[in-house]
Amino acid sequence: MITAEQKPIEEIRRMIEPYTSVLLIGCGSCVAECAAGGEKETAILASALRMAAKMEGKTPVIHEKTVERQCVKDFILPLAESIDDYEVVLSLGCGAGVQAVAELFPQIPIVPALNTGFIGETRDQGYWVETCTGCGDCMLYWFGGVCPLTRCAKQLLNGPCGGSRDGKCEVNPEVPCAWQLIFERLSAFNALDRLEDIYPPKDWSQKQGLGPRKIIREDQQRQET
Amino acid sequence: MTATLTGDEFTVALFYCQNTPGSGEHERRSLEKRFRASLRLYPLPCGGRLEPRHLLRALEEFADAAFVLTCPAGECRYFEGNLRTEKRVQHVRNIIESIGLKPERVGSVMNSKEDPKPLVVIAQGIMAEIARLGHSPVLHPRPPWTDTKEKGEMPCDYR
Repeated sequence: MITAEQKPIEEIRRMIEPYTSVLLIGCGSCVAECAAGGEKETAILASALRMAAKMEGKTPVIHEKTVERQCVKDFILPLAESIDDYEVVLSLGCGAGVQAVAELFPQIPIVPALNTGFIGETRDQGYWVETCTGCGDCMLYWFGGVCPLTRCAKQLLNGPCGGSRDGKCEVNPEVPCAWQLIFERLSAFNALDRLEDIYPPKDWSQKQGLGPRKIIREDQQRQET
Repeated sequence: MTATLTGDEFTVALFYCQNTPGSGEHERRSLEKRFRASLRLYPLPCGGRLEPRHLLRALEEFADAAFVLTCPAGECRYFEGNLRTEKRVQHVRNIIESIGLKPERVGSVMNSKEDPKPLVVIAQGIMAEIARLGHSPVLHPRPPWTDTKEKGEMPCDYR
């Protein structure tokens, strides 16, 4: 999932200050899972913004709605019924959600309320950790399901740096050494021979350098009429 | 400002765990009779059911302060409801402080294990404390030429 954290309220208030009617749009998917932009967080932020305005004697219209998935056009289309009643949209979606709303409703300014973080997993309640860089050429098979690009501080593909101590990374001793994990997992499956290959430097052209990446699946596309 | 124990001038939203000692229907009715609309009581099946937005909505719409009373440490029927409440209250305190409201307007009271106080006694303590804090600037906005933000103080022990 995509993780995010809410921007400081002060920063959000500065961005929406010129407007007198604001629609907060939450997202019920990834950012709800990481407690940044779901229905609850949207209600909390809306309430805080209304109170802050009231304290200054202002009475802006601040309403909130949460869609199931802000990055999918079909889920945000129903907003068309009411979005023109507002001067600005404050999105609690990830960067993809913000841009999807901006593209679908070009007539209304949009303000992001979150700082989008990384692709990660929920390791525990209230604890999210980055586990995928989105490199576009997954090598998890070769590394026993542990990504050295994301989880090794030095992004080494051909073995450990030699600096780890007690299984912990020398750059950040709170983090387990990714290569220690790779070694342990491949050992458990008798697959250490996968490490005998030499892996060339990562081909980053799969990830960046050509503008936004696209996936096109004709079998999933709507029939042209 | 004069503190009034009857709480006529201020409104407090008090969420409370129904499992905490001395928080039955009889106590609730007696409190409502005494404080009338100044004390709005919200019984919860467990303090852990309280969400930050409940406290914020109360502050936004009618309350000068919003509090929650939970079971003593180690006594929660659901093991950690009271501990979760404490963390959520702290989260709300951070939020309201960031918009310039005194964090003391939100609080949690974990009942004492050794000497549990009934709801009535705790409510009285909270009402007295809120009288000291004064009206919420959310419900009674100050003129724009004055400092609209409140300054925080150290939290008090309401037990």
